[in-house]
Formats: sequence, structure tokens, C-alpha cells
Amino acid sequence: MSIRVEFYGIPRQRTGVAATVVDVATQPAALQDVIRQLSARFPQLADTCFEQDRLRAGYTANLNGERFLADSASPLPDGSCLLILSSDAGG
Amino acid sequence: MSDGFNEEGGQPTRPGSRQVPGGYHGQYLLVELGPHGEAPLRSEWRELPSRVLRQFLGGSGLGTWLMLRHRAAHHDALAPEAPLAFAFSPLVGSPLTTSAKFAVVAKSPLTNRINDSLASSGFAIAGKRVGGDALVITGKATEPSILVIDETGVHLETAATIWGAGCSEAQRILGQRFAPDWQFAVIGPAGERQVRYATISHDGRHAGRGGSGAILGAKNIKAIAVRGSRTCTWAAPTELVQLAKSVSQRSMGPATEKYRELGTATNLLLFNRLNTLPTRNFQTGRFEGAAHLSPESLSATRERTRASCAACTIGCEHLYAIDRTESDDRVRLEYENLFALGPLCGIHDPDIVLQASRRCDELGMDTISTGGTIAFAMECVERGLLDQPWLRFEDGPALLEAIELIGARSGFGAALGEGSKRLAESIGAGSIQFAAQVKGLELPGYEPRSLQTMALGLAVGTRGADHNRSGAYEVDFSARADRHNLVPATAALAIDTEDQAALIDSLILCKFLRGVFSEFYVEAAEMLNLVTGWDTTDRELHETARRIVTAKKWFNILAGWTPEEDTLPTRFLNQPLPGDAAAELDRDQLAAAIRAYNRHRGWSDEGWVDREQLEQQGLADFV
Repeated sequence: MSIRVEFYGIPRQRTGVAATVVDVATQPAALQDVIRQLSARFPQLADTCFEQDRLRAGYTANLNGERFLADSASPLPDGSCLLILSSDAGG
Repeated sequence: MSDGFNEEGGQPTRPGSRQVPGGYHGQYLLVELGPHGEAPLRSEWRELPSRVLRQFLGGSGLGTWLMLRHRAAHHDALAPEAPLAFAFSPLVGSPLTTSAKFAVVAKSPLTNRINDSLASSGFAIAGKRVGGDALVITGKATEPSILVIDETGVHLETAATIWGAGCSEAQRILGQRFAPDWQFAVIGPAGERQVRYATISHDGRHAGRGGSGAILGAKNIKAIAVRGSRTCTWAAPTELVQLAKSVSQRSMGPATEKYRELGTATNLLLFNRLNTLPTRNFQTGRFEGAAHLSPESLSATRERTRASCAACTIGCEHLYAIDRTESDDRVRLEYENLFALGPLCGIHDPDIVLQASRRCDELGMDTISTGGTIAFAMECVERGLLDQPWLRFEDGPALLEAIELIGARSGFGAALGEGSKRLAESIGAGSIQFAAQVKGLELPGYEPRSLQTMALGLAVGTRGADHNRSGAYEVDFSARADRHNLVPATAALAIDTEDQAALIDSLILCKFLRGVFSEFYVEAAEMLNLVTGWDTTDRELHETARRIVTAKKWFNILAGWTPEEDTLPTRFLNQPLPGDAAAELDRDQLAAAIRAYNRHRGWSDEGWVDREQLEQQGLADFV
């Protein structure tokens, strides 16, 4: 199954791209499965934003522009769009 | 100055007569402008009791206490007798990162409610070294003046050579006129002309919101110059330095990476994606030109440098060149000036936004209120309610012209300089329904229909619609709440962010540090204790924060607050955000959340504070 991943702020700085697509074998996929794949593809992103298949403090994930995910076991339906971003929205 | 001591302020200070906590001088300087016999002013040191310092700390808290003490709520904000406080804090001058801050507290000429605006850097350090924890100014100078304060005394000098100068130009001239150890707070032409959202500027930064610059202008004070050498003792200096090192080290870690690398402007693309980037006077939450204005795009096309306040290890300021061929000409760009002078007015040309931002800084005007008021007027023109056909969304030159008119209070600029609420009241025809303000303060760049915990924070804020006194958006950007469905249970979460802001603004520290603390109140207590010698606990600081918020609310009640003020404009209620059907805020849901908020605060359902509450929270002096 495919998950589109969009990066904002520091995550985008670390990947150098605005978005990518991740194919996950498990179904339904979980947030941690996507993080694992992203870690392999973008080591700098992993160093900054991830810790053992989880998001580090200071970063968060949003599903389809709607719901924020607190649990790395959160299921991601096929065709989902995942946003990886800094959790601090202070301006 | 023997009149009304016991009613209006502390007793005159008697040197050496008492013990003062570490980090404090235990007194404030009261300056009364205007002729007193042959003298152009009077000044006097007044005692700040230790009990008051512990209850209100400094910054916003202490400033609010001073405004209550000096009965600011009962005066017109621009009247000569209206007081204005510069409040420092126990941490100013300490080795703690980001602690070089001051608060300017007064009754706002824009909202007629309490206003506390903060700024940073050398003025805080030099101002505190004069020997006080605050400076309170009342009265009015007989001619445009510079208020000069050091350990030898207080006097006025003519401001003839800088009256009319922009903020940075005034600073530059003062820097040449005074010795290098002086620091200056200045107003621009907008403050001189009492634009209701004029700022007070120091070193390119601004105490921005609520119009404190207009108050100085009304007092004929163009600039305040301070210099001093009186330092405070710390209770446990060795341990304080160790703690400061630890905080500094953490402040350079991942929690502040966003601010260091990209600055606050990095919110732009994310907010756009989430339909929460206010566009064309909050008509939508998505701007088609956002990509042109993102810091990623700006960095690719023009020179960028970073800067930081004095005593700061974060360095969040990102300065961009306006003209790609003149790299020395740089402008500080934050999310709020980017949103307000860009998408809010339908502008996607970064050169226009940067020029507009620079002119606001030079004229000394709050960028959020400037952009918010102009955007409101643009929509009025679009709807045929206002006969100013030149002022249209997407018209960059019109935006720049409007800013100049406001700064000069010339032509239509005089009406724009009153802010969106007063402008709507003068236009009528129901335009108040889409004037994006609360209590007269224009909304910051957080769309309340798609960030509904923030909607609550904006509605109940004591200084009006504001993102620095309520961080309720943090709840919306988390799994703790559904940002599209406001429920009463989230009121407690909104209160947590408001209380934390009240404490941070009174200590004072930078809010961008908050992510580096795992238990903020515990560490804050430790900092305070090492500086002051107190035995404060995290629990006491929770009470302190609530007391400060209640004190601000009580000020507003004294100034005429009514429950009807705690709401959002009709635009945001009972109709979905165009393009995002899920983003609809029900009027009854908001009302229920406000009731829950008031109950959690211990106030009446409507938001009134009674005598018992004041006494319980240590505010009995002001009953």
C-alpha cells in the first residue's frame, strides 16, 4: 500500500524534498512502518526527527491534514497522506 | 509627590531600611512629567514590597500590579494622567539565556483594556541597572522630549532633532549623541501621531501590540535613554551559573531548531496546507501565493542573515535582503508580519511584503494591526462599503501607500490609524461582523475556524485576540484535541497555555525556550530560587500564574469589561471556512467552552470575578 508523505519546516530541510511516496508491505500500515522506511531513505531526517521508529519530542505527524497522531502504532489507511512537521507552531 | 502614596503606589524608598530578595532592587522609579514649579518633571523611587514581588514576579505580572496600583483602568489611555510601566524582572542581568527582556504595560488606547507588550535586549539590562525593577511614567512633557534616566537622576532633553525620525534613525542619532553605555527605547512617527497601534522600539525590536507607542507620543516622549551600573545580587550564584549553562546547552538543541534554521516564518506553508493561513481578511484559510513567500523560497532568492537578542543563545531572527542587489538592506521577517502584510492583504510579492514590513518597523506600527486594519478596509472597498477605490486586495503599491498614510495620519490614514474596530463602527452597515478583532485587537495569523481551541483563547484573552498570551494553538497542533470540534473539556488545556505564558512573561523568558523544559514549572521555580533565595515551588508558580491572569481580568472589569466582549466576530461563527467544510465553529459551542473556561478559572459563568476570588488569589488590595 502507498502513503504519500509531505514534509514541512525542519523535516523538509533534512530531506531536501517537499514530499515523497512510501510503499509499505504490511496492511494496514502504521505510522512506525512509514518512519522506518523514511529513516532508511533519509538518514538526516532520522537523525533529527526520529528515535527508534518514533517521532522525537518536538515533531509530530498529521493524517490527511486533519488529525494529529500521538501513537506510532496509529494505523494509516491505503492512500493516506501523512504530514511530518515541527510540533511547535509558535509564530 | 506626597499626594496619594498609600492609594496609588508604595511608600517612598528609604535606602538600607529593609532586605530585598536577590535579583531585585525592591523599588521602582515614578516619573511625573509636566511642570512642577520650575522643574519640567518630578521623580521619586517607591518601594516594592517583597510580598508583591513574590506574588507578581516581574514583567507582565509586576506591570499589571503597577497599573492596578496607579489606577490606570480609570483613565483614558492617552490622557496625560494615564500611567505606563516598563517592568523588568528578577532574571534580567542573570546568566539565564533569553532573560534580557522588558514588558511595557498600560491601558491600551486600541482596546481600552490591559495591554502588556514585551521586547528584548540591551534596554532591559541597562534599564534595570539604573536601580529599579520598573519605571512608571505619568503626566505629559510640555514639548517633544527625550526622558533621560541614570543613577544621577532624571531629566528631559529636547527631542527636536529626532521628532519625525523613523525608529532606527532616531536610535542612530541618539547613539551618536550619547555615550556608548546608554540604551534607548523610541517611538516612530506613528507613535508621535498617536496611531492606536504604534509600537515602542528598541534595537530594531518592538513592544508591538496594543499601542503603547501612542501613549508615549501622547506624553510628548520620543525616546527614553537609560544607563546604570547597579547590579543585583543572586542568592546562589554558583548553582545559578550551572543551571544557566544547562539551559543554554539545551536551547541549542532540537527544541529550538525550527527557530534557528528557518525562523517563525516557516509556519507559512504548513498553515496553508492545514487551511489555517488567514487570507484576504480571513475570507479563506489558504493562499494561492504562499509558496512565493515561504522562507524556503526567500532563502533561495535573496541574502539572509541571522541575529539574536542580547543574552540569547537561540538566534531566531532571520533578516532578508529586500533588493537582491543591495544585500545590506535587510528586514526582520517573522510569521506574523509575513502573514499580515502578505496573504491577509492578498499580496504574494515578497519585495512588497518586505518593504511593507520595513516601513511598519520604521514608522513604529504593529504589523498585525496594520495588516489587519488595511485588509478589513480592502474588504469594505470590495463590498462597496467604503469609497477608497484605490485600496484593493492584491495591490502591493496600495498596501505601501496605506502604510505611509497611517504613519502620517494623513487622509484616509487617520481612519486606518484607529484600528479595525473603530473603523467598522464609523463605516457601519454591519461591517463589524467581518472586522477580525477581539476587544479591538486584530487577530494574529491563526484561523479560528480551523484551530478551535485557539478560537477560545482568542475570544477570552484579556488583551484581545492574541497568540502570545494564549498558546492554545499548541493544543490544536496535537492529538489532545480535535481542532475542528471545540468542546468544553479543552478549556482546561487552553488555560494551561495561558497560565504558562503569564508565568514566562513575568519571569521573563523567551517563549521559544518552552520546548527545552520537560517540567517547566519545576525548573522555573529552581531558577527563581537560585536568583532570589526564595523557596518557591512549582505549585506556588501555578498559583502565581493564575493570580496574574486574574489580575489582568480584574483590571479589565475596572475598565468597563462586559461578558459580550469575550467572543469572536460573526464571520467566524456558524458558517464554514470557504474551502474547508469541516472548519465550522458553532456559536453555542464557543459559548459553552467560554463558560467552561470561566468555571475553571474560578470566575462566574459569565466571567465576573468576585471579592472572594480576589481575596483567595491574593488580590484583596484591589477590591
